[in-house]
Amino acid sequence: MNHDSIIRQPLVVGGKTPTDVTADISRPILNKPSTSWRVGFVISFIFLLLLVWTIGYTVWTGIGVWNINKSVMWGWDITNFVFWVGIGHAGTLISAILLLFRQKWRMSINRSAEAMTIFAVMCAAIFPVFHMGRVWVAYWALPLPNSFGSLWANFQSPLLWDVFAISTYFSVSLLFWYLGLIPDIATIRDKIKTKAGKFWYRVFSMGWTGSTRTWARYEVVSLILAGLSTPLVLSVHTIVSTDFATSLVPGWHTTIFPPYFVAGAIFSGFGMVLTLLIVARKVMNYENYITIGHLEAMAKVVMLTGTMVGMAYITEFFVAWYSGVEYEQYAFINRATGPYWWAYWSMMFCNLVSPQVFWFKWARTTPWFIFMISIVVNVGMWFERFVIIVTSLHRDYLPSSWVMYSASWTEIGIFLGTFGLFFTCFFLFSKFLPVINMSELKTILKNRE
Amino acid sequence: MAPSVKYWKGEDELLRDQAFTTSQKNEFAEDLPLQEVLEESNFELNSSRRDFLKYFGFSVTAVTLASCFKAPIRNAVPYLVKPEEITPGVPLYYSSTCGACATACGVEVKTREGRPIKLDGNSRSLVSNGNDRSPEAKGSLCAVGQASILSLYDNERLANPLKKGSESDWTTIDAEISKSLNDLAAAGSGIAIVSGSNHSPSTLRTIADFTGKYPTARHIMWDSVSYSGILEANETDFGKKLIPSYYFDRAQVIVSFGADFLGTWISPVEFTKSYVRNRVPAQGKEMSKHIQFESNLSLTGTNADDRFPMKSGNEGIYLAALYNKIAQAKGGKQIPVATSGELAGNSIAQTAEMLLKNAGKSLVISGSNDAKLQMIVNGINMMLGNYGQTIDLDNHSNQFKAVDRDMDTLLADINSGKVSGVIFYNVNPVYSHHQGKAIKEAIGKLKLSVSTASSKDETASACAYVCPDNHFLESWSDAEPKAGQFHFTQPVISPVFNTRQAQLSLLSWSVGVLSPEKDPMADKQIMNQRFQTSPFYTYMQTVWQEKLGAENFQTRFNQCLHDGVLTSEPKTTVVPAYASDLTAIGSYLDSTVSKEGQIDLVLYQKVGLRDGAMANNPWLHELPDPMSKVCWDNYVTLPKSLAVSKGIELGDTVNIKAGGITLNNVPVIIQPGQANGTIGLALGYGRTAAGKVGGSTEKAVDTVGVNAYPLFQGTSSSRSFVVRGVEVSKGDGTYALAQTQTHHTIEGRNHVREATFTDWKKNPKAGNDEPKPHMYTVWQTPEYRRKGATGHLWAMAIDLNACTGCGSCVVSCSIENNVPIVGRKEIILRREMTWLRIDRYYSFSNDGTVIKKENEHYEGAYLTKEKGLEALDKELSNKQGAAYAHYEHVKVVHQPMMCQHCGQAPCETVCPVLATTHSTEGINQMTYNRCIGTKYCGNNCPYKVRRFNWYRYNNNSNFDYHFNNELGKMVINPDVTVRTRGVMEKCSFCIQKVQEGKLRAKREKRSLNDGEVKTACQRACPANAIVFGDLNDEQSEITKLYRNERGFHVLEELNVQSSVKYLTKIRNTETV
Repeated sequence: MNHDSIIRQPLVVGGKTPTDVTADISRPILNKPSTSWRVGFVISFIFLLLLVWTIGYTVWTGIGVWNINKSVMWGWDITNFVFWVGIGHAGTLISAILLLFRQKWRMSINRSAEAMTIFAVMCAAIFPVFHMGRVWVAYWALPLPNSFGSLWANFQSPLLWDVFAISTYFSVSLLFWYLGLIPDIATIRDKIKTKAGKFWYRVFSMGWTGSTRTWARYEVVSLILAGLSTPLVLSVHTIVSTDFATSLVPGWHTTIFPPYFVAGAIFSGFGMVLTLLIVARKVMNYENYITIGHLEAMAKVVMLTGTMVGMAYITEFFVAWYSGVEYEQYAFINRATGPYWWAYWSMMFCNLVSPQVFWFKWARTTPWFIFMISIVVNVGMWFERFVIIVTSLHRDYLPSSWVMYSASWTEIGIFLGTFGLFFTCFFLFSKFLPVINMSELKTILKNRE
Repeated sequence: MAPSVKYWKGEDELLRDQAFTTSQKNEFAEDLPLQEVLEESNFELNSSRRDFLKYFGFSVTAVTLASCFKAPIRNAVPYLVKPEEITPGVPLYYSSTCGACATACGVEVKTREGRPIKLDGNSRSLVSNGNDRSPEAKGSLCAVGQASILSLYDNERLANPLKKGSESDWTTIDAEISKSLNDLAAAGSGIAIVSGSNHSPSTLRTIADFTGKYPTARHIMWDSVSYSGILEANETDFGKKLIPSYYFDRAQVIVSFGADFLGTWISPVEFTKSYVRNRVPAQGKEMSKHIQFESNLSLTGTNADDRFPMKSGNEGIYLAALYNKIAQAKGGKQIPVATSGELAGNSIAQTAEMLLKNAGKSLVISGSNDAKLQMIVNGINMMLGNYGQTIDLDNHSNQFKAVDRDMDTLLADINSGKVSGVIFYNVNPVYSHHQGKAIKEAIGKLKLSVSTASSKDETASACAYVCPDNHFLESWSDAEPKAGQFHFTQPVISPVFNTRQAQLSLLSWSVGVLSPEKDPMADKQIMNQRFQTSPFYTYMQTVWQEKLGAENFQTRFNQCLHDGVLTSEPKTTVVPAYASDLTAIGSYLDSTVSKEGQIDLVLYQKVGLRDGAMANNPWLHELPDPMSKVCWDNYVTLPKSLAVSKGIELGDTVNIKAGGITLNNVPVIIQPGQANGTIGLALGYGRTAAGKVGGSTEKAVDTVGVNAYPLFQGTSSSRSFVVRGVEVSKGDGTYALAQTQTHHTIEGRNHVREATFTDWKKNPKAGNDEPKPHMYTVWQTPEYRRKGATGHLWAMAIDLNACTGCGSCVVSCSIENNVPIVGRKEIILRREMTWLRIDRYYSFSNDGTVIKKENEHYEGAYLTKEKGLEALDKELSNKQGAAYAHYEHVKVVHQPMMCQHCGQAPCETVCPVLATTHSTEGINQMTYNRCIGTKYCGNNCPYKVRRFNWYRYNNNSNFDYHFNNELGKMVINPDVTVRTRGVMEKCSFCIQKVQEGKLRAKREKRSLNDGEVKTACQRACPANAIVFGDLNDEQSEITKLYRNERGFHVLEELNVQSSVKYLTKIRNTETV
């Protein structure tokens, strides 16, 4: 029932046939890993070990090995948490909202974007768990029945909302991703030669036959999950933002946070997708599948959301002035001119100024340039969270408790370590699972016969 | 007729079998396998496979379960025979005397299960309550006294006597020392006992016994920080070598030249108590006026109404100017001085005017140790008629008697061979004398050198014998801090180590070894020898029998011990005869005047560490200096102008050179309020043999700070705190000081509110702005906060006007609540754990007034004139605004800050696990066991009073501040949980005390009285600035204070409804 437009640019170039698609995309899985994959994996794995070590050190010795203090009680930990959660958002947006809007160009990138979501949420979850002073009783944050009488979680606390939001988000994203993988896993099952491979792909393909009835069910479930995911795109970061917005710390206590955080999350998510895919399409020779057109579309999203975020920054300033609250006013002046001015202006430059280059066609269509900007965006969004968390806390109400904060090597190590976890997962994903949704992609090929 | 039916159970019954009928008579029809079980036959091989598996399974599981728990070995000593007075869980209080310094305040010792855990002021002691003879008097104790309890549990105290550095036993040591003393006396060589100022009747008798036995022996007193100047001036002027009593509450005008009488000078608790009485504004009562002239910003200076930076080197000139002004009015002789002694704003002249107006109701004091300057002070007070009014020579102080000169004489005598045996009775001149090195060498020449130091300090290390003294809480003694006021010391714990109180050591060497007296209770109880009463108890009784008389002696003596004090009626004070002629001093004063551009170093004591004797006490290091908020170090305090001209910034170091002594790379603080042309440095630091906390070369522990004692320039009579002509240059490298507060100004926020006394008289709400509008809450007022609610509603009020910022409450809170000590590194990371902190805010006198009078303004002017300063000021003003011009003229507000127990607490809503909740008595409670450590509450606390346990501070070798060993842990208050790592903690309003009070009242079937429950901070506060109580009690003091117009809540506009109310600071800045 596909009607190919004669006018529209093809979404997959290079005159690929369905056979080509299967061959191209399953090649990394069926062949031995390339040298570049091995090198990348080993480096990522070393960073993963760094994560294990730094977290182990923290849990063994105490949160004291971080440099957070009596006033800035959240530092890099929650900065990184929000950073990683934000990154996840692009995946959900691409797979859910773009699916509902029938944006077919998403088909080349949704698989990897969703994978990115899952890995990013995994990285994110590490921080709120291990920033707890007594991580061994972290489960107390869940409303579990217990033998202590009336002990129950505090449903007023945004941290509890976080627990629900993140766990829902993770499980729905994982389901959605896995569901989309089933037909492709079945394809691999049919092609793979090794015994172990045959066994595992058989298990995970869940007896996929490719019958019409199966496909029909598949489509329906996809739509349902897309429908479920859609509000999550908005809700997760909204709830993360309430961690700050419902508090009374000047600079946190702001009603603009929910939309501003969501825009920021999509912004940073697309930044990360661009970073990953520009490398992946080059290394894995997927230029025909992830085309310049894809990059351009995403660059436009980055520009749009970047501008939205920038507008939020400026609005915050206006509101601080307009509110007439001296603490609020000071908090914002302190952001821009206080001891952490460099973080603020880095954020402003990276998030508001740099995406504006995408007004130019050249900038939107030159992969190496987009790659550079995507890195800048990632850096900028990290700084945004740092600015919000640290500069608000380090000077709040009573000047006697004003402090400075800089991260310890353990905190830096944990952050770098989460990149290790993220890329280790990503490398494993690219080795063992099709990075592009083969079955969906075949539906948008121009020459299917 | 119903048919007769016979029922039968079985054939056996039916047939009436013999065996069956017999068995039926038994309780159990069948044989029980008892024998089998008893013989354990089942465990033998004939048991079935299933049984075997059952037993096997059970035993394996049982053994496994049992071995899962490693039963901790706990040392508990149960009472075999419970002492009559001890009930586990119920504290016992004893009266005693603080031995932390010679001031000897009366203390109340709280003991639990036989171990002292807290010291507080004894309300009956006039020293602790500030000469209040009324029954409502409240005694307090300073931070040093509070902290001294930890020294009892210092496991670095000597456990045995030392002979030439190695452990020995008392018998050997006594024999050798006695022999040596006899030999010396026989040979006619001099023997000296060097003690600190001592006013204990029994101890002095001990020493008299000693000197009586050895005719060549003499007793000299010597203090690390002495009051020689006052002693000698009074000797010259009045023929009395003593320190008078000062009554600050009777003075309408208090003028202090560098005397830190609220912090460190003579008897700070007593002075604070009496000072504050006239400082809390009440309608129809005049508030006293306090003027302070000083170089370093002292605690007293921060409380002054007017504080004038003064170059201490020129103090004599200013005193002379003041003297001359008053003499002019009173028709006395002038002191001829060539140099004009006037400070900016004619402050000397104005001070003179105010003094004259309040003659007989004023008090002039000086912290100088120069007898000549003290004579001018005496002269001024004499002309003003303050003697007999605010100064009392008849009911004088005995607290400090030592004169610096005596040590110089002794040193010369040792070097000339006149003295060959010295007993250092708890003094440490090798460390704290400026000629410490020479003294150490001289000790080497002695035939007999004995120290009674309780730890191996600098002097003890040099001595041949160390006979460790008990801690004062292990000793019997007495004291006479003021004429006619006796204090008693009684042991509250038997000696922890094999130590012996120094008096007994002296007696052992003079009248012979005293055998311990049998405890009168010993017959009734099973006790070993260690529990026998010290023989000094008997000795003390004989001394007191002479004083009290034999009649009914034991009862009266026991009453003295119970009260801790014996106070006689004060003598009537008479104005002493005075005939001194000061005209000769003029030329001397002119010779001392600082040259232009000369930098004077002013040595001072810190409120925490004082003279450094207790340098191994971590609480004193952790207590932030009230002004600089620096812990764990001393540092050079620089005026801004000097720092800028030398390019020195915070974090840099300086080298200072004075009289051949160089101190290199000393950290600096740019101290607002430091007079231009002066720098300050605290004494008491840089110990090399204090221990693991205070620094020890032997144990390879770095010294804490630098030793400033060598900088004392010994004058002929006394050691002057002013070191003239110091060279200051920028040092190498940087040094991070541990400060608990790094942002010094208040950014124009209204957290502290103040008004002048004149404004307050017109409007009691002056300076106390109305809360901002739009206070709206979505929550309902809880039941217990509504009108007419029964039950308690706890609240606190803190009078900013009374609070001097001394820090006694901080230490008291830490001790009461087992707050961990975290050390320098953690404080640099801003992780101090104190539940109660004192925020200190500087403000510049932006209204430009010094003393308001007829529109005289001194805005922009340096108060002290220094060479090149105006040019510098101009340059700075262009760069940074005019604020620098006022840098040495700052005002200070101290604001104690602890958990505000908000009614709508921001911390409570954000905790995901409900670990912090609100009680129905208005207390914000922390459930440590439930806390998972998200720290969200800490972020959301607008007062930043929540403290997180970053590490497990107890049992962590990185935090070895006496809480990490069995002995040190004995100081822990058993009523308060020791928090584990990873949980949040904060002020609980001393909930354990509230609970204790409620239970007591319940047991006695009455309601809780107002003031019955006192929080630790309130109990400790020498200024009575903290009041805690029940707001639902209409008659309570707290309810009255809540109605005071001066009351305000910090951050009222957040509508968190805090339970702590502050009362505005009122300054008497007008001329009086």
